[in-house]
Amino acid sequence: MEREVMLTGIGGQSVQLAAQILARASLLEGRHAMFLGTYGGTMRGGNTDSTVIIGDAPIVSPPIVSSTWSAMVMHHQFWQPLREKLRPDSIVVVNSTLFENSFATADSATDSTAPEDVPRIFEVPATQIATDLGNALGASLVLLGAFASLTRLVGLDALLQAMRDSIPSYRRQHVGANETALERGFESLPPNGAPAWPTAGVAQ
Amino acid sequence: MTRTLMEGSEAIATAAVAAGCRFFAGYPMTPFTEVLENFGKRLPAVGGVCINAESEIEAIGMTWGALATGARAATGSTGQGLALMQESLSEITRAELPLVVFHMARGQGDYYQATRGGGHGDYRHIVYAPIDVREAVELTELAFDRADHWRNPVQIYGDYLLAHTSEGVEFTADPFVPVAKDWAVDGSLGGSGRSRNINPIGMQKGSKSIDPESFWKRLQVKHDQIEASEARFESESTEDAELLVVAFGSVARFVRHVVRELRSEGRKVGYARPISLWPFPAEALAAAARGTQRVAVLEQNAGQMIDDVRLSVLGSVPVVGIGGISSDSAGFGMGPLLDTRVIRGRIESALENLEVST
Amino acid sequence: MSSDRLDVLDTHGRPTRVSTRVGEFEPKLLLDGEHDLCPGCGEPVAIRLLLEVIEELGYAQDSIGVIGIGCYTAFTGLIDVDLIQALHGRAPSVATGAKRMRPDKLLFTLQGDGDMVNEGLQEVIHTAARGESVTCVLLNNGVFGETGGHMTATTALGQRTKTSLEGRDADYHGYPIPIAELLVPLGGVSYVARGSVADAKSVVRTKAMLRKAFEAQIAGEGFSLVEILTMCPTGWFIPTADGPGYLDEVLGEVHAAGELVVGGKPVGKGASG
Ligand SMILES: Cc1ncc(C[n+]2csc(CCOP(=O)(O)OP(=O)(O)O)c2C)c(N)n1
Ligand code: SF4
Ligand SMILES: [Mg+2]
Repeated sequence: MEREVMLTGIGGQSVQLAAQILARASLLEGRHAMFLGTYGGTMRGGNTDSTVIIGDAPIVSPPIVSSTWSAMVMHHQFWQPLREKLRPDSIVVVNSTLFENSFATADSATDSTAPEDVPRIFEVPATQIATDLGNALGASLVLLGAFASLTRLVGLDALLQAMRDSIPSYRRQHVGANETALERGFESLPPNGAPAWPTAGVAQ
Repeated sequence: MTRTLMEGSEAIATAAVAAGCRFFAGYPMTPFTEVLENFGKRLPAVGGVCINAESEIEAIGMTWGALATGARAATGSTGQGLALMQESLSEITRAELPLVVFHMARGQGDYYQATRGGGHGDYRHIVYAPIDVREAVELTELAFDRADHWRNPVQIYGDYLLAHTSEGVEFTADPFVPVAKDWAVDGSLGGSGRSRNINPIGMQKGSKSIDPESFWKRLQVKHDQIEASEARFESESTEDAELLVVAFGSVARFVRHVVRELRSEGRKVGYARPISLWPFPAEALAAAARGTQRVAVLEQNAGQMIDDVRLSVLGSVPVVGIGGISSDSAGFGMGPLLDTRVIRGRIESALENLEVST
Repeated sequence: MSSDRLDVLDTHGRPTRVSTRVGEFEPKLLLDGEHDLCPGCGEPVAIRLLLEVIEELGYAQDSIGVIGIGCYTAFTGLIDVDLIQALHGRAPSVATGAKRMRPDKLLFTLQGDGDMVNEGLQEVIHTAARGESVTCVLLNNGVFGETGGHMTATTALGQRTKTSLEGRDADYHGYPIPIAELLVPLGGVSYVARGSVADAKSVVRTKAMLRKAFEAQIAGEGFSLVEILTMCPTGWFIPTADGPGYLDEVLGEVHAAGELVVGGKPVGKGASG
């Protein structure tokens, strides 16, 4: 079984870091993972998107998917391409502090006869929580923690370890704040509200 | 063994260093740049050297020198940079040096360049086109092995997706044991009357003249042997297929996915992939195509590999191209064709055309 | 040049100079003293010096040469040193790769002006600026000898070649490049000198330059270059015996002999010689 997670945001929101931590955490739990990041030209302010695929066998899906099991949305500005890949049953975790847009697709917005295809949406004020923690840049980790709690795609321990493994040595001072961000995120959505795997337990 | 998350470029450099590569020289160009960066990170730690050469031409020259001393060495670029290197690529083949080239192309439009070469004279390079990062690791290890075995260049043909996708990879290869190379120059035979000569024009020591014809014929024999023994191929669901879809490299990953989807819906479609672009797995492909009504080639270019597919099936079954040029706005080859919905559409209409015409 | 110059030595009068035997004409590191280069060609003389110096320094079994493409390429089959035959212009980068993998070996290139200053100009400049521990030996005859006497980037103003039939004209063909001078300001350079093989004195001086360049490499001081002006009577379209005089008067005018960098320090404009 393979589970797709698409992430979107604007440059500077640490979207790629969140994707990398998610993929690395899955490997720590013995699963297989793949991810592909795509960015606009600039470091900050351009689009930044990522696709993570996690499975219990070597990944066969191509790194660009045409529909996704789930999504994490940090910002609305460049989210339309992702929106078009959502299925009616997709799980979407949204940074509600910044997101200002409709979940309707272009089709359903203009065509009143279009079927209701709004996926399952879970709102988390990730930027607000992170700002309150004094770590505004940690918002993507708050969202990731919330996503993990909801889906149990990966566990909190693996996320914390993967985060430590992903931070370059010159950013070591942020490890503590990032741990708090992941933990607070993990508390902010109901556990196992939308489980990723049929049975609890870890794939080999 | 645990799987480590690595971007394709990092996995390739790691696999190369594990395979004993100790020298790399390159010049930055998207999407190859990260391959260079990763060699730059890894080689000094194992006593190797990575040079950010001042041009692609100098990069391959430096690699030539390192190879001549017997070191495992590699260079790389995109199609543009390889175009600049062509003179050296063909002459290094004649100097019989085991060069490995990491070609991270901007899409699949460099198939001709990789398999035919833009250099002068009769020369051949083994070309592997990995479908994903895990296979790139295996083929990188194999590339150094085959390059040494044949004393012939081997190219890894990747692209943006291969270089930039991260996957969990394992490195299981046996530790590298240096290969004895009595032909390599170390200076030691000076003054002995038997000094060595790494020479691309067939010039022998003690002789003022060269004999190009017999020299080139000897190389041809070697290339014929490589052609007969080094082809690699993968296929699925070909037994009762009415349509066989052929693709290579990253694009094949999309095609394989779609063919599996269609198969699970009962459609009679098969999948075939040349893993080595040269030697082209003509016999295996012809066998896979036997019994089908049509072969469809899905490549991300104006139609290049289709020539080799046609030469493989030799008119026994019609061959059509269902791919095409496809790019992002930067020209890196990340075009809209890289979408399973689009590819499914192309394969479905090829299946429908089949029904119409039969 | 005097207009009454003879094609053969004039033995009617007394000799103007005492004749001396300059040295052994077949260095040990040569597999065969016979070569196919033209009579009066300066390149074999320069190659002889190079091989003698390697032998005398005790590096015969610790040297790797990288040969460019020009008339001197004929010696790739004759020089008894481990060699790599490079492409036209590409020897400095090939030497770089070899040196990096075998840092304890003496690495030299052998290139012509067409090879080094035309086709591969950026190679020698980059290699020098990198301070690569190799010695580049340039045989400068101001022409592509091998292709039959065409203009190169070092051809002197006024010099006739097959592609500057009326003599090199700055307005039309541009100016010659003094490659040795060009390298002087670069940081990685330890030794640069220009010699010649036009006469016995120059030959002796040039040999000393080659020795110093190799010694700089052995001492790990960085990049070194010895440019050697060589006669090419065939490519200059002059009688064989006129070669040395023409060299001094035409090429030597633009490319003055002398040391330019010693011990990593510029030593001012090369003294005439
Ligand atoms: C890429 C390339 N262009 C052109 C040539 C043809 N070519 C062979 S030798 C030569 C000129 C050599 O000139 P130089 O290096 O000055 O040596 P010389 O013959 O004067 O000793 C040229 C242009 C070549 N071999 N390769
Ligand atoms: S053409 Fe000139 S450089 Fe070449 S061998 Fe003859 S004299 Fe020497
Ligand atoms: Mg010349």
